[in-house]
Amino acid sequence: MKYLINKIGKINASVLFVCIIFLILELIGHRHGETSIEDILFFPAIFGFLSCIIIFGIAISLRSLFMKDEDYYDE
Amino acid sequence: MMNNFPPGFVMIIGALLIPFLPHIIRQIYMLVLILTSAYALTLGFGIHTKITLMDFEFILFQSDPLTLPFAIIFHVAAVLNVMYGSHVKLWNQHMAIMSYSGAAIAAVHAGDLFTLFVWWEATAITSVFLIFAGKTKRSYGAAFRYLIVQIGSGMFLLAGAILLMSETGNAEFRNFDINSLYGQLIFIAFGIKAAFPLLNGWLQDSYPEASEIGTVALSVFTTKLAIFCFAKSFAGTEILILIGVIMTFFPMFFSIIENDLRRVLTYCLNSQLGFMIVAIGIGTELAINGAVAHAIVHILYKGLLFMGMGAVLYRTSTCKASELGGLFKYMPITAICTIIASVSLSAFPLFSGFVTKTLILSALGKEGLVFAYFMLLFSSAGVLIYSGIRVPFFAFFANERKIKSKEAPLNMIIAMISASILCILIGILPSYFYNILPHQIHYQPYDFSHIVGQIQLLGFSALAFICLWHFKIYPSEINSTILNSDWIYRKMLPGVCLPLLDLVKNLNQKFYKFLEYLFVTIKNIFANTMIKNKVFDREVGQDTLIVVQLFIVILILIFMWKIYF
Repeated sequence: MKYLINKIGKINASVLFVCIIFLILELIGHRHGETSIEDILFFPAIFGFLSCIIIFGIAISLRSLFMKDEDYYDE
Repeated sequence: MMNNFPPGFVMIIGALLIPFLPHIIRQIYMLVLILTSAYALTLGFGIHTKITLMDFEFILFQSDPLTLPFAIIFHVAAVLNVMYGSHVKLWNQHMAIMSYSGAAIAAVHAGDLFTLFVWWEATAITSVFLIFAGKTKRSYGAAFRYLIVQIGSGMFLLAGAILLMSETGNAEFRNFDINSLYGQLIFIAFGIKAAFPLLNGWLQDSYPEASEIGTVALSVFTTKLAIFCFAKSFAGTEILILIGVIMTFFPMFFSIIENDLRRVLTYCLNSQLGFMIVAIGIGTELAINGAVAHAIVHILYKGLLFMGMGAVLYRTSTCKASELGGLFKYMPITAICTIIASVSLSAFPLFSGFVTKTLILSALGKEGLVFAYFMLLFSSAGVLIYSGIRVPFFAFFANERKIKSKEAPLNMIIAMISASILCILIGILPSYFYNILPHQIHYQPYDFSHIVGQIQLLGFSALAFICLWHFKIYPSEINSTILNSDWIYRKMLPGVCLPLLDLVKNLNQKFYKFLEYLFVTIKNIFANTMIKNKVFDREVGQDTLIVVQLFIVILILIFMWKIYF
């Protein structure tokens, strides 16, 4: 445990800890969503993680298209 | 008599005195103005003030369950703005903010489209001074573009109002049909102010160029006024769901690659407006409540985020992620308030965003709009990575830099703490908050499913950010300009139109040269005929002329003789 905290830092470790707790909570109670797809086990967790990776991926690939010099409009 | 003054009107008239008051008295005076304006809200629902001008009845003060929540939050935001800007001793920005807030509040209470038009343009004209107050070359340009776009939106509104008037005989501010021409014109006017996709350029262009207190005020009124107008006039218009989804979706990507943190927040603002637009598009009681509630809390936490970044800008003179970092030890209170705003924005349970976003998502779920639901869920997860973590992280934590600064001024801290408390209170006591919404509903945001689902969603989004940062996949921030839809009128149109203009100029010159050549040739032809012994020889011509003149005189004499005798 100490090794993990040293390795990734206190804040990151606590985020990881909260994530694990809420995964376990889902196993204990019954979570239901607004739609039936959401009732899949750990759906929000998987959805959240993948969404962020996808958004990040698309955004970074857009850099080449939309990113210009800082004084682009001033020229 | 004072009672029947439309709310906001007092603030506009009272703002005229601001230049003549000394600093501290002015701040107190402004608070008194806002309280006086708010007193009119106690009158209850109905039409309270009308005036007749040129046979037209202007409804200046009309209130109903929809206007009340907006009026309340606009007054609260005006008070927070006064507190936040108290360190500025010059009067000009205070006057602009006071009249701008007043115009927005008066617009909410307009009962007909012509009154709305007047306040609509008043918000544009008063707020543009806040962008000028940025006092850079860029802010001057941005201010002019902002003014043109805002006035343009007012022109659409006026055209729609006139058409409506000619078709139906009255211009009451009510629910409009999107299938009519006047409905479409009004829709475009509102759409420009609500920063619809491709009409959003002015928002990201102008807000980050304003002064630090100006951006806070700007973030509150203009766009939320448009949201109010949509809720009043186009609730249940299905096209809004599609537009709203696109609005929540696209600004996210631009937000991630943007370097200026205040501009990041404007993209985020745009995305959150999408949530409200979707809710208005659904149009059920639950959804409208969701839209109004989200607008209210959004004013608070987005204002707070802009306050935090404004404080950073005030102390360090920069808001660029590539130049900031490690400010937590110098500005801990600002940092904590910004984090509270970010957590509210990300909709963590116990914070304000959660109790409103779940309303909208539940409304979508209930109507079975699965696609829109998942797109909004996608944005809810993404908000953490593009703004919720990113803004406080890059300003206060990431990359230790050599910037040293002091904590924000006391008045800024008081404003930020007040807004933070409101964000938390709404999150903890949602039932009291739901009471001010337009429709009475019984909704419980805090149940096991919502809490576990939301924390999983956000926790793993945060984990994704941590992974990207930890494994150094997250690229470093670069000083840059991100192209947005304002590129169309800043680069593309000049790029296409200027060569076209040159072409027209060239053609014009050639045409004139051709005409000149033509005239010279014709003149020469005639001149050649006028030399001696030719057809139009001048000497012959003069004699002929005398004969013709004599002939005309004789004709006139005959004519007169015929008339009189």
